[in-house]
Amino acid sequence: MSVTSQSRTRAGSTNRFYVTYLRRELGRRRRQALFVAAGLAVGVGLVVTVTAATTGVSNAEGAVLHSLYGVGTDLSVTKAKPNPGNPSHPSTSGLSGRGPSFSPGSKPQPVDEIAPVPGLSWLPASAVTRAARLHDVAAAAGGLTLTDTHFTVPSVKQLGPGGQPPASASPVTFTVDGVDLTRLGLGPFASARLISGHGFAATDADADVAVVDSGYAAAQRLHVGSAIRVEFQQFRVIGIVSQPPASAVDVYIPLARAQALAKNSVMSPYDGMTGSDMVTNVYVAAATAADVPAVQAELTRLLPSATVTSSATLASQVTGSVRSAATLVADLGRWLAVGVLIAAFAVASLLTVAAVTRRYREIGTLKALGWPSRRVIAQIMGESLVTGVIGAIVGVALGFGGAAIVAAVAPRLSATVAQSPGSAPPENVTGSGGALHESYGAGSFRTVAVHMGGPVTVAAIALAVALALAGALIAGLLGSWRASRMQPAAAMATVE
Amino acid sequence: MYTLSGVTKTYAKRGSTVVAVQDVDLAIADGEWLAIQGRTGSGKTTLLQLLGAMQRPDRGVVSLGGRDLARLPEAELTRVRANAIGFVFQTFNLIPTLSALENVEAALVPQRLPAGEMRARAAAALDSVGLADRAHHLPSELSGGQQQRAGIARALAKQPKVLLADEPTGNLDTTTRDEIISLLETLWRERGLTLVLVTHDAAIADRAQRVAAMKDGRLSAALTPEER
Repeated sequence: MSVTSQSRTRAGSTNRFYVTYLRRELGRRRRQALFVAAGLAVGVGLVVTVTAATTGVSNAEGAVLHSLYGVGTDLSVTKAKPNPGNPSHPSTSGLSGRGPSFSPGSKPQPVDEIAPVPGLSWLPASAVTRAARLHDVAAAAGGLTLTDTHFTVPSVKQLGPGGQPPASASPVTFTVDGVDLTRLGLGPFASARLISGHGFAATDADADVAVVDSGYAAAQRLHVGSAIRVEFQQFRVIGIVSQPPASAVDVYIPLARAQALAKNSVMSPYDGMTGSDMVTNVYVAAATAADVPAVQAELTRLLPSATVTSSATLASQVTGSVRSAATLVADLGRWLAVGVLIAAFAVASLLTVAAVTRRYREIGTLKALGWPSRRVIAQIMGESLVTGVIGAIVGVALGFGGAAIVAAVAPRLSATVAQSPGSAPPENVTGSGGALHESYGAGSFRTVAVHMGGPVTVAAIALAVALALAGALIAGLLGSWRASRMQPAAAMATVE
Repeated sequence: MYTLSGVTKTYAKRGSTVVAVQDVDLAIADGEWLAIQGRTGSGKTTLLQLLGAMQRPDRGVVSLGGRDLARLPEAELTRVRANAIGFVFQTFNLIPTLSALENVEAALVPQRLPAGEMRARAAAALDSVGLADRAHHLPSELSGGQQQRAGIARALAKQPKVLLADEPTGNLDTTTRDEIISLLETLWRERGLTLVLVTHDAAIADRAQRVAAMKDGRLSAALTPEER
């Protein structure tokens, strides 16, 4: 027999005895071993459950953030509306107050006007190109977010007492977003999921086609092939998408078409820009996540009058129960899991030390037979390790159960995000002085409902298993260290 | 085989010092059977443990085969216990969760023998003490005499040069005591072992080649039964 196979055979006999002794010893103190395993399992289960809850809350927050600016967008550049005292911008002051006025005539007058989302101003389209050229920028895209407001100015005959307009004069508003078809991975459209029809093609840049939000389509009874009107321009619905709850966009059209509509609107020109030069958002993707802060600083220097927002900045603006849940899970949940794990470790250590102390005579005998200390330690730690493995397996199962309970019973969370300043669509149309006036809110916050799931990740399982095994090994080491260092005579002199 | 010179061992106990072994000089020849007789608390078990490398003396030399056990590193001392010394305990000290055969194998684990050889030697050792038919019984399923036979088999399985027995019949009835002593005597003769047996029983001590008396930690000169 070769030296190698001799070594293997010798190791095999040692391993066989090791396993036999280990199995018998755990069987002898089965109850205690199961108690220790149960303690570790509870700690592990709690770690997995808390991690799942944390991930669920984080995913819920992420869904809110992604729905606002899209999955692939790291930074968003916008520009706030200037001082409402500027007489060139009567209808989108960005602050609460009055909008344009309309005089009723002899016949009803349909009104359909588009404007930037209140509070948002224009940026030059060249800002997109300049942003794309910055160092550490992977891509940049422009977006043009508009609100389309239409209502019918009643005829004089239709006015009520005191010149009040009828209810039918109330404005109907929807949000239109111009999508850069060369960068569909950036912007809010990137978070949309197609559920019928098809999306945009590169050749649709100048086409009168639209993709519509499923909720809006249901409300307006739209389907693929329907016609919708944006500022009196007919668009054909080519697709319907499902969007994250926080998304505010109802209709997506190609950016070039949105710019053309803006050019023809009452809002153009502005600061020398015509509609075709305008965007309201620049969406930027950094080369890597680590580059985001540097790119944010570069964009701020490039466009000093604009606001550059990152996901982190936006996250700090999210309020509502999702934020409260995040805080609760992060603070209370984590500390609870850590506390239970420490208690489990302590109990495991105490019980293991007690069990080993009761075996001092046995350990002394083994040492008297010539067992080296490392062999004694290995035997005891092997017993602890098996207990840890059992605890880990049961703990992971408990964790899955806990995560499922969290997902099932978690209340529906809400997230409130401040949209652009003064970003309320026209709230009302009133009549006075023989005219009709649009009025706007001071600024709006959008509250959306989000579902908190309880996903169990591989990383969470790995962490929990590692903690259980580490706890078991620490307990075994504590128990075996002192015993292994005792002289055989001293160990055997111990009264059991 | 053994040479002891000025060996002293003390213990600290509740603030005072107990001298268990005091200035012991002793020579034990190869293949000799020496009995150490004394009352309980005379220090004979401590002396046997010093011979068995289970503890180190505070002073003096314990030489086994020319090597001072008191000066050896712990790892080397462990190897001496594993290969050269077999120990039989008064209370048997069998591992309760292992069968008689497995208890004997426990003594062979440090030698890292191939699995087949380990089992064969363990079985042969049990057979030599007349316990082959109880090989798979747990200690709780064996009588006192059978447990001590298993203990003797465990001590002999490693084929030691020295067999040390600490009151091997202390927990046994008279009949079984005689059986065990006769067994030890037979094995000593057949294998040419150096046997050191500690006992309080004069009748057992008188069966040895030489007897040394232990009292208050001091050892008298070892005498043959005729000289006594």
